Amino acid sequence: MADCIICQIVEGKIPSKKVYEDDELVAILDVNGANPGHCFVIPKQHFPIMEQVPDNIIAKAFSVANKISISIFDELKAQGTNLFVANGIPAGQKVAHFMINVVPRYEGDIVNMTWKPRQLSEEEMSAVELKIKEHSENIGGFSVSSKPKSLDSKKIESISSEEDEDNYLMKSLTRIP
Amino acid sequence: MPEQQQMSEEQIKELQEKIKNMSPEELKEFQKKQCIFCHIVSGKVQGKRIFEDNKTLAILDINPANPGHVLVLPKEHYSIMPQIPEEELQHFFMVVKALSNACLKALDVRGTNIIVANGVAAGQKANHFMAHIIPRKQGDSIEFNLPQNEISEDKLDEIAAKLGKKVAASLGKKFEDLVKDKQTPKIVEAKFEDKPKKEEKAPKKQEPKEEPKKAPKKEPEDKGVDLDDIAGLLGGK
Repeated sequence: MADCIICQIVEGKIPSKKVYEDDELVAILDVNGANPGHCFVIPKQHFPIMEQVPDNIIAKAFSVANKISISIFDELKAQGTNLFVANGIPAGQKVAHFMINVVPRYEGDIVNMTWKPRQLSEEEMSAVELKIKEHSENIGGFSVSSKPKSLDSKKIESISSEEDEDNYLMKSLTRIP
Repeated sequence: MPEQQQMSEEQIKELQEKIKNMSPEELKEFQKKQCIFCHIVSGKVQGKRIFEDNKTLAILDINPANPGHVLVLPKEHYSIMPQIPEEELQHFFMVVKALSNACLKALDVRGTNIIVANGVAAGQKANHFMAHIIPRKQGDSIEFNLPQNEISEDKLDEIAAKLGKKVAASLGKKFEDLVKDKQTPKIVEAKFEDKPKKEEKAPKKQEPKEEPKKAPKKEPEDKGVDLDDIAGLLGGK
């Protein structure tokens, strides 16, 4: 999309500091990051909100976000990481191009990812439970095989992107909070 | 966990000593026994379950940031994200996306936040990996803050190189092969005209019209939540 600043970054019209790139995704540093190492994982194709992004790209984007998060632990000695998605204006989304924030965290930094816990009545909770259940009952059909499935409202496209699991998994066991 | 509060200091010391000497497998087993979310997964502790498949469970947060605050959990006990096998992680976030979509529609909200906290410094409270889906409304009192900092060009370059190499290595690739700065990647352009309401190219999920079922509200656009609508608001300004 021509006037999307993120698309311009993807196209290389605006310079950026890339940390990852493939055919579908790019990850760049936030030049004004919340902490140094703050990255955005971005699908190259223009999708304003998460729900519009095809499942295989969502899967891959979060997988890349995970790998960046692991690298942030290893390389920047972060004490924690957040993944953060702002989806829609009320959620604080500023740019109409879906992205995942990967944020390195340190004790005492001024990033705020907390909220005030609320107490809802039993009736309110049950009402919400029923409503969401009604819309979540048909979720499924995910598959990592590449068998294509029809894309109707609830059936979800299968994904085919598999990357090798890496041995960072075990290393990070020592960081159990 | 309530039991822990009743332990004497000696007991705590003893326990810490025991934990220190555990193998990773033993530790995981031990954590599982202590983990409230594992108890919810197994059904020993009740939770408001809104979605479940063989790998994933989603429940309502009992102390939500907003009504409809959903916790998505892998059924298996993982403390932090890096421990989750690749395939499971991908499946997990596809479920998160679908549930976010369900929240938008079920609660008639125009936004959600997806939050994952790895580590206490990131705000992680429970020792069981999870993603939060927080439905958002304009003017709710939630205030997440990602402050903006000046970071020098040199520092950015240094970090980009470090992270880039590491990420590439974790994929068994070379950074230089993945990221080709000079090359302009092709992007598939969605067709947009001046009014940003035509995401026809995106495989959007057409919600069957819900007017007949729903109690009619006065606003003309209240025909359920339209994703294009939410996206369009963003593009409008």
